[in-house]
Amino acid sequence: MANLNIDSVKERTFDAIVIGSGMSGGWAAKEFTDKGLKTLILERGRDVKHIKDYPTTNMYPWEFEHRGELPMSVQEANPIVNRCYAFGESAAHFFVKDAEHPYIQDKPFDWIRGYQVGGKSLLWARQTQRWSDFDFEGPARDGFAVDWPIRYKDIAPWYSYVEKFAGISGNRDGIAELPDGEFLPAFPLNTVEEYFRDHVKSKYKNRYVISARCAHLSTPKQIHLDQGRVQCQRRTICERGCPFGGYFSANATTIPWALKSGHATLRPFSVVESIIYDDKLGKATGVRVIDTNTKEAIEYYAKVIFVNAAALNTNLILLNSKSHRFPNGLGNDSGVLGKYVAFHNYSAHIGAEYDGAKEWTTDGRNPAGGGYIPRFRNVYKQETDFLRGYASGFSAYRYPERSWDGVGSSLKDNLANKELGPWHVGSHMMGETIPKESNFVSLDDKQKDTWGVPLLKMNIDYDDNDEKMKKDYVEQLTEMFTSAGFTNIKASTDRRAPGLDIHEMGGARMGNDPKTSILNKWNQVHSVKNVFVTDGASMTSTSCQNPSLTYMAFTARAADYAMSEMKKGNI
Amino acid sequence: MDRRTVIKNLALIIGGAALLPACSQDKAKSKVALKNIDITADQEQLIGDVAETIIPKTTTPGAKDLQLHLFVLKMLDDCYKKEDQQAFVTGMGHFADQSKKLYSKTFDQLDTKTREAFLLGIEQEGKAEEAAAQKSGDEKNAAPATPPAGKYSPELKKFYSIVKRQTINGYTNSKYFMTNIVVYELVPGRYNAHFPYKQKQAV
Ligand SMILES: Cc1cc2nc3c(=O)[nH]c(=O)nc-3n(C[C@H](O)[C@H](O)[C@H](O)COP(=O)(O)OP(=O)(O)OC[C@H]3O[C@@H](n4cnc5c(N)ncnc54)[C@H](O)[C@@H]3O)c2cc1C
Repeated sequence: MANLNIDSVKERTFDAIVIGSGMSGGWAAKEFTDKGLKTLILERGRDVKHIKDYPTTNMYPWEFEHRGELPMSVQEANPIVNRCYAFGESAAHFFVKDAEHPYIQDKPFDWIRGYQVGGKSLLWARQTQRWSDFDFEGPARDGFAVDWPIRYKDIAPWYSYVEKFAGISGNRDGIAELPDGEFLPAFPLNTVEEYFRDHVKSKYKNRYVISARCAHLSTPKQIHLDQGRVQCQRRTICERGCPFGGYFSANATTIPWALKSGHATLRPFSVVESIIYDDKLGKATGVRVIDTNTKEAIEYYAKVIFVNAAALNTNLILLNSKSHRFPNGLGNDSGVLGKYVAFHNYSAHIGAEYDGAKEWTTDGRNPAGGGYIPRFRNVYKQETDFLRGYASGFSAYRYPERSWDGVGSSLKDNLANKELGPWHVGSHMMGETIPKESNFVSLDDKQKDTWGVPLLKMNIDYDDNDEKMKKDYVEQLTEMFTSAGFTNIKASTDRRAPGLDIHEMGGARMGNDPKTSILNKWNQVHSVKNVFVTDGASMTSTSCQNPSLTYMAFTARAADYAMSEMKKGNI
Repeated sequence: MDRRTVIKNLALIIGGAALLPACSQDKAKSKVALKNIDITADQEQLIGDVAETIIPKTTTPGAKDLQLHLFVLKMLDDCYKKEDQQAFVTGMGHFADQSKKLYSKTFDQLDTKTREAFLLGIEQEGKAEEAAAQKSGDEKNAAPATPPAGKYSPELKKFYSIVKRQTINGYTNSKYFMTNIVVYELVPGRYNAHFPYKQKQAV
């Protein structure tokens, strides 16, 4: 150990360490630095500075060498990430390539990752819905997983807190299963989306079609201008990074905010290998980092440690943090660490046409992407032979019919045609999967990555419940589409591996009982009070709503709690 | 990459309308720098003629003005599987042969009408095969239909379909098309969910 002199230790000692600078880590950094805590943000990837490091953000379609398509060599070298819809010429630089960071698929799992400052918050589709008590009470009611240690009322104020800062657009829809939030004006539904909304309302009880809620500044408020962000320009090329800060990303929002405070140190190129647990002190004292440029191992110390490396990497770090006290991973007295991983099921779609509303179209682009159908199955009572339910996307669009038939000047005329065809409508399924002990991740005992960290092994799969739910989605949406008078209805399902929905959760779940969970109701490791996990790893069950808003709310809440505990001298 | 290659690639990326100067030292080789396939200047010329037949110069620019044949080659070289690239090259040979067999002339010697008829014939055969495959797919229990013996080899059809697809792709995504025909806006700044639209009355 070269760095044992006292000054150096002092230099490497902080009030708080945040592992990961993405969607959730950015919030931890912001909360700590807002309160003046000297905070170290550790990020394994490179720095991505807002605006400056968005190389494609102002490019026209014809400026891309392959007009958006990726070279076959890149596609063939990346079978996993290539399956992600957003992996294209304009945003490939924000995705982890397959060969760079291998893992072991004991069962197929498409692990989609963004290793850089901002993490996956640069790439997300920005859909943000609150979870409700139907979600937080679900396990207790339906008998799956373990009971959540919190209820909606515990998290509601924190949803409000993060929504106001992040900027979420939506309508107040008054739906119990999808609580309203602090909204900026919604992006409106178009004519046919409204038609379907009205039809569903008149025909079905407890089924709704609403404007999708999303993390976009439809009309910014002062707090957003203070962040240096301005109104969303409806460009809908968000995955390139937005120079306007029109959508929420850690790069445009929480990270620069934390840095501006003067209390943050951002250290990119720093892979956290493990958390250091001191058997004598009975707490974590810091983290061990491998510098990816020099391969040097460095230790950093702090009073409190937030783990926000994204669900499965957080599991990896905890499993790899071994000590006398915790031979099987930090805080893993129960043996459940790495287990009960769950995800979302996005493997069914449906498309159709609508032969009406011909006198309407849209102009410009909708950043929200259209409509959202909240979960309507098994909400108030169990009514199907599967547990839980699914939400659905819904959108309608119209485009010029351009026939590719023929050659010569008639083809040229066809391609220049601006006459619009009929409305097309489409939906995709967003199903909840049930956390099970048999869905787990673990460390390989032989193979290690370039930095000496064991490779993660995936053992995650669908089950019968998912198959039944998928069938029900296709039946119900087909019926709803038919009854709305849509024609040429085509449902399709695919056999994608788990993971491609990019909503993996669990492994270090919250719970009341330390015997069956890793974290308490404050996202605090039951047996290591100064370590908190507030990303997807902490989720007890998965709901069918998009998860990131919930990670943000949990992070802000846990950071507030951690600071009050520090003040009281408890940690 | 040498400077010449850089300039050529740059011109492609920018999609400039200026024709690249013919390169005298290296006459036999294609103008565009290719990594995976070997294309002679003659073959490039043939692809140019096919592309120009697909998107001809009228009162507005055609394939050659927009360098779409070079874009086709760029896409073929970078974005297609090896077996597709091989089929393309083989099919290009078949295509040249067919021209001589059917019309006793090379493709560049044909007049525009004949060129169009030639291409449309290939297209029609491809469509008929697709329809037959679709039909046998629909009637799952029916015995697999034997593919009709076509005039054109599968490689020829592959060659043609790649040229056509990428010519149109290059055309509809060209700066010319996107600033004059459809007008792509990087910053629309608006979303009007209810926008009146009047379909043109059928004549
Ligand atoms: C294409 C796409 C669409 C999506 N759409 C939506 C959506 O519409 N709605 C929604 O809610 N969610 C969506 N998501 C998911 C969303 O992006 C994630 O849920 C969210 O980013 C997770 O936040 P996080 O903080 O846990 O992880 P991340 O944002 O991924 O951040 C984790 C960070 O930790 C770093 N890290 C990892 N390991 C280490 C280590 N050992 N040491 C140091 N640093 C480490 C990573 O490099 C990364 O920067 C989408 C994701 C993608 C890719």
